[in-house]
Amino acid sequence: MPLHNFSTYADPLDLLRRFVPTPLKAIYRIASLCVMVQTNDFALLPTLLLGADRDAAAGWDLEWKLVRDADSGGPLGTPRFVTSEALTVLEMGTACIVGMDHERRELLAFIGRDVDARTYQEFLVPFLCRMMNERSTANSITNFADRSAVRSND
Amino acid sequence: MDRPADNHALRSAHFRGIRHLVFVTLPPNNFIVYDLLRKQVHAVLSDGAARDISFWNKLLLPITIGVLGTAVGVVPLHCACLERNGAGFLLAGVSGAGKSTLSAALAELGFAFISDDWTYVSREHSTLVGHGLCSPIKLLPDAVRFFPYLQQLAPAPTLNGELAYEIDPIRSAGITLKTFSHPQRLFFLERTPNPGSEFIVCPSGYVKAYFEENAERLPDELPAAKQFRASVIHSLSVHPAWILRTGNGPQKTAEAINHFLSEAVDAIA
Repeated sequence: MPLHNFSTYADPLDLLRRFVPTPLKAIYRIASLCVMVQTNDFALLPTLLLGADRDAAAGWDLEWKLVRDADSGGPLGTPRFVTSEALTVLEMGTACIVGMDHERRELLAFIGRDVDARTYQEFLVPFLCRMMNERSTANSITNFADRSAVRSND
Repeated sequence: MDRPADNHALRSAHFRGIRHLVFVTLPPNNFIVYDLLRKQVHAVLSDGAARDISFWNKLLLPITIGVLGTAVGVVPLHCACLERNGAGFLLAGVSGAGKSTLSAALAELGFAFISDDWTYVSREHSTLVGHGLCSPIKLLPDAVRFFPYLQQLAPAPTLNGELAYEIDPIRSAGITLKTFSHPQRLFFLERTPNPGSEFIVCPSGYVKAYFEENAERLPDELPAAKQFRASVIHSLSVHPAWILRTGNGPQKTAEAINHFLSEAVDAIA
């Protein structure tokens, strides 16, 4: 099966890359939650336990939409958070922008092309799980980010 | 304090959106989140940016209206807006057709200037209102052929990466600046290699198709915004509209519009 080529998207009327197709889908069990992950890059599918006992028709508790952003390069920057009652947004430069909408139960993210698989799986995925579970608690996530950053630099 | 908002920030602006969220990064240290469903803006700004009036006027407010507008009842349309004798009109055309250059020439001719590139259209009762942001008129480097005084200025990069001269309509002598107008007519500017200017009546279907096909795609999460934009475009489409096909320079084309409006349209009125 040919791999999806995430670098070919171009739509002059979609300057924000809102409509990048995310055809790769899988359902995961993350703690007690059933999470549907959709993405345009196989490398962004988390190496977590699949929810083999659930099918798409049964629904899910939460959705992740992860877009590999072929036009954003560079390393992850220092984490910064913007929070509101409904949102927790994480920005690590243009290499990683994540918005967690707690009311709509969806996590929406752009991951830059230079974020490698190891950094993603070992650093960002735990981060995303934490964001998903902790509502508007930027401080605790920041502390978590600091600890994770130390580990990822080891 | 950081240096004032300048073209470095423009060159490096980064825009991304998924569903109802839009993220804007404005270097060196500003990050803005737009929640189009809840009609909220959240931002982390540097001290320098927060205190810099040019950052607000040249970057943050125009970007905010452009991103959030449709969700709050203001539709951004890629067209200029001018006014002659109290009657407003929109001037549309593909990028590079010469909207800004022609707008500058019309302003020199005495037309009131509202906007040269983006017009923000709202509805007041049954009337459409075209708003401008008092933004500088951006002229591409070759405009110096038609406006020799540009030689005194230096072109600088704009948000879309082009080099352009900027004329501040607030400070430019001879330009009558208005913040809004009620557009009653539309012109669609087309370049032709043949000299002369001709006005071709265009049907409402053309107006509708033009604006719908050139509008930014909106996600399904924003049905009200989609519906509002469609209703504004429909309302625009019932106004008289012409394709303006011209091979002339901006000053001659501006004179042709002035003549057309004074003779043809005023006579009908």
